[in-house]
Amino acid sequence: MSNSIVYRDVSMTFGRGASAVQALSATNFGIGDQEFLMIVGPSGCGKSTLLHITAGLLRPSTGEVLLDGKPVTGPGPDKALVFQNFSLFPWKTVWDNIEFGLRINGVDRADRSERVAKYIRLTGLAGFERHYPRQLSGGMQQRVALARSFVMRPRVLLMDEPFAALDAQNRTLMQEELVRIWSEQRAAVLFITHAVEEAVYLADRVIVMSRRPGTIKEVIDVNAATGPGHWRDRPLNDVASEPRFQELRHRVWDSVRSEITTHEDA
Amino acid sequence: MTATKILRLVVPCTALVLFALAWWAATDALRLVSPFVLPSPGDVLGGLARVSRGYMGSTLLDHLIASMSVMLSGFALALVIGIPLGVAMAWFPLVDRLFGPLVAVLRPIPPPAWIPLAILWFGIGLSGRTFIVFVAALVPVLVNSYVGVREVPQNVIAAARTLGANQRVLLTEVVLPAAAPVIFTGMRISVGVAWATIVAAELVVAERGFGFLIMSGYRNFEAEIMAGGMLIIAAIGALMNVAFLLVERRVLRWNAGDSRDV
Amino acid sequence: MYERGTTQGRLAGAASTGWVIVVLAFWIAFWWGLIVVFRINPDFLPMPGDVVARLVRLATHPVGEGPLHVHVWASFQRFVGGFAMAVALGVPLGFVMGYFRLLDWALTPLFELVRYIPPIAWAPFAILWFGANFGAQAFVIFISTLPPILISAYGAMRAVDPTLMAAARTLGAKPMTIILEVGIPSSIPVLIGGLRIGVATGWMALIAAEIVAGTGTRAGLGYLILVGQQTLQASTTIGAMVLIGALGWSFDVALRRLERAVQRWR
Ligand SMILES: Nc1ncnc2c1ncn2[C@@H]1O[C@H](COP(=O)(O)OP(=O)(O)OP(=O)(O)O)[C@@H](O)[C@H]1O
Ligand SMILES: [Mg+2]
Repeated sequence: MSNSIVYRDVSMTFGRGASAVQALSATNFGIGDQEFLMIVGPSGCGKSTLLHITAGLLRPSTGEVLLDGKPVTGPGPDKALVFQNFSLFPWKTVWDNIEFGLRINGVDRADRSERVAKYIRLTGLAGFERHYPRQLSGGMQQRVALARSFVMRPRVLLMDEPFAALDAQNRTLMQEELVRIWSEQRAAVLFITHAVEEAVYLADRVIVMSRRPGTIKEVIDVNAATGPGHWRDRPLNDVASEPRFQELRHRVWDSVRSEITTHEDA
Repeated sequence: MTATKILRLVVPCTALVLFALAWWAATDALRLVSPFVLPSPGDVLGGLARVSRGYMGSTLLDHLIASMSVMLSGFALALVIGIPLGVAMAWFPLVDRLFGPLVAVLRPIPPPAWIPLAILWFGIGLSGRTFIVFVAALVPVLVNSYVGVREVPQNVIAAARTLGANQRVLLTEVVLPAAAPVIFTGMRISVGVAWATIVAAELVVAERGFGFLIMSGYRNFEAEIMAGGMLIIAAIGALMNVAFLLVERRVLRWNAGDSRDV
Repeated sequence: MYERGTTQGRLAGAASTGWVIVVLAFWIAFWWGLIVVFRINPDFLPMPGDVVARLVRLATHPVGEGPLHVHVWASFQRFVGGFAMAVALGVPLGFVMGYFRLLDWALTPLFELVRYIPPIAWAPFAILWFGANFGAQAFVIFISTLPPILISAYGAMRAVDPTLMAAARTLGAKPMTIILEVGIPSSIPVLIGGLRIGVATGWMALIAAEIVAGTGTRAGLGYLILVGQQTLQASTTIGAMVLIGALGWSFDVALRRLERAVQRWR
C-alpha cells in the first residue's frame, strides 16, 4: 500500500523562551492511501496538534507533512476536518452548510445540487434540508458535519474526537454510518479518540502516542488481527464479544495506561 | 388557572391602579402638591393632547422630524464608520494596534461632554447635533463589532478554511454572519444611546425637537407639557427598541434569540 | 440613558504598554500635524501642548468658583450624592424584590412605565423640583444609576442558589434573616459588577446633568467644558474632557480591582 500522507521530522513547540510548550516531538510516519488510522493517547499529548498540522491550519516548528508527495502549505478542501463540537455554520441551513465548500470552490449550481442531495441522502438527513443546526440533535448535527466534509471528496479525512459528545447509542450508530459512507468513498482517515473500543473497532492500525511532548509510541496493526473481512463491517455489538477484539482492546488500553501512569509518577 | 397565575395578573394591575390613585389623590383630589410642580394624571393627558397639536410654533410632526432626522443621520454615520472599523480592528492586528489605543482613550469621555465642543466646531445647527449623536452612537457599534468578530469560534473559522475559504470568503461569508447577532445588539444599544443623546443636545441648544419641547415647557412653567413630552420621548424610544428586536428576530432566525450586551 | 453603552469588551488587549505609548504619541503627533497643515485656529482646536498648559494654569488660576480642584471636587460631590442615593434605595429594593415575588410583580410594571425615559429628560423636572444646582444634578445621577443598581441587586438575589435558601428555610429562618444571612453574602460579586456599571453610567450622567441642569452653579467639570465653549477657549473644553475621561477610567479600574479581589476572596 502506498502512502498518501508522510510526516517527516514533524515537531511543534508553542510559544517562545520560558513559556514555550513543546506539544509534539519529532514524528516520522506514513499513512496508507485509503487507510483508517486511529490515534489514541493521554490528554494533552499533542493529538489535536498533529491533526491541525496535517490539515494545514498550523505550521510545524520543524519538518514537513507531505500529501501525495507534495508539502502541505495550508488548509484546503482535499483535507477535511470534523471536530467534536460541531463547528457547523449556525446561520446556514443544513443544505447551505453542506453546499458551502462546493460553492466557494466554484462548482456550478447543477452539479452542486446533485452532490449535496446525494450526501443528504447518504447521511440520512433527508427532510431536514431547511433546518438550522440548532434545531437538530447532536447526532444529526454531526451527520451534517460528515456530509459537509465528504461532499468535498477529500483525500484525507481528519476527525478530532468527532463522536465524543454523543451518547452511547448515537455514537455506535454514527460509527457504523461513517464506515458505510467511507466504504463507498475511500479516503485516508486520521481519527482521534479517547475510546479504546472505538479505536480497535474502526482502525486498520491504531497509533498510541506517548505523553507530552507526544510522538508515536506504538503502532498496533488491527488488520492483521481481523484478517480479510474487517470487523468494522459488522455491528459493534456482535464484534465486541470476540476474543481477538477483546485482546486487542486490552493491548491498546495497557499501552495508553502506561503513558498516563508514568505521567503521574513524574 | 392556578392561584399563582391569578395573582400574577391581579397584583400588577392592582399596583398600577393604586399608583394612579395615589398620584391623582396627591394632585387633583387633595391638592397636596401644586400642579406647577407635579401635574396630575389628567394634566399629563391634557399635556399630551396639547403637545400632539403642536407647541412653540411647531407641529408634533415638525418636532419629530427635527429630532429623528438628526438622530438617524448621526446613527447612520456611526454605522458606516463603526462597523467597518470595529471589524477591521478585530480582523487585522495592525489596525487594532493603531486604533485600539485611540478608541480606549476616547471611550471613557461621556457623549454629553462632546456637546460644547460640537457647538464650538460646528455651530448650533444640525451638523453640530449630528456630530454629537455620531460620537455617542459610535462606541457601542464599534465595540460590539470588534467583540463579535473576536468571539467567532475558532472551530467555525478552521472548518471554513479547511473547506477552502480564502480570506475574503472567510470575512464576508463566515465571520460577518457569525458576528451578526452581537453587531446587531450593538446597533440596538446605539439607537437607544443616540436617542438619549439627541434629547440631551436639544435640551441645551435647539429650536425644535423633543428636548427643546420639554425645555420650553420648563421655561413657560407648563409642567404638563414637560410630562407629555417625556412620555412621547419614552414611547419613541420603546418603539425603536421593539422594532429593532423584531427585525433582529426576523433577520437572525437561526439564532435562538441569543442577543447579548457585550 | 447611557448605561448600556458602557460595554466591557477589552480593546487593544494584545498590545504591550510600550506599543500603546508609541501609538498614542503617533496620534498626538497626528493632531499636531492637522493643526499645522490646515492652519487651524487654536481657539477651535488647540495644540496638544496648549491643553496641558491650560490644565496647569487652571490648577492655580480660578475660573468660576475657583481653580481646578474646586471643580473636580464639586463634580465628585454631586456624583457621590446621586450615586449614594441610588445605592441606598436600589440595593435594598432590588434585594427585596428579588426575594418577594409579590413585590416584584407589583413594582416591575411601574419601572417598565418609566424605563424608556432617557434619564437626562428628567433634567427639566429636576430643575423644577430642586433648582438648577446640586439638587437637580444629583437627582439626574440618581435617576440614571438607579436602574443598573436595582437590576443587579435584583438579579443577584434571584441568582442565589435556591437549595441554599431552602436549607435556611427548613432551619426555620425568617425571610429577613435569609436575605441578610444567605442572600446578601452570596450575591456580593454580582452586585459589585452592577455597581461598576452604575458608576460608569453615573459619571456620564453627571456631565450631562452639569451641562443641562447646572446653570445655577459655577463649579464642576461640566461647567468648565461649557465655559470653554462660551468663551471660545477650546483648550479649556478639551482639557476638562480629558480630565473627565481620565477620572471615569480610573474609577472603573478601581472597581474592577475590587471586583477581582472579592472574587478571589470568595
Ligand atoms: N495554540 C496553542 N498555544 C499554546 N499551547 C498550545 C496550543 N495548542 C495546544 N497547546 C498545548 O499543546 C499541548 C498539546 O495540545 P493538544 O490539543 O494537541 O493535545 P491533545 O492530545 O489533543 O489533548 P486532548 O486529548 O485533551 O484533546 C497541550 O499541552 C496544549 O496545552
Ligand atoms: Mg485534542
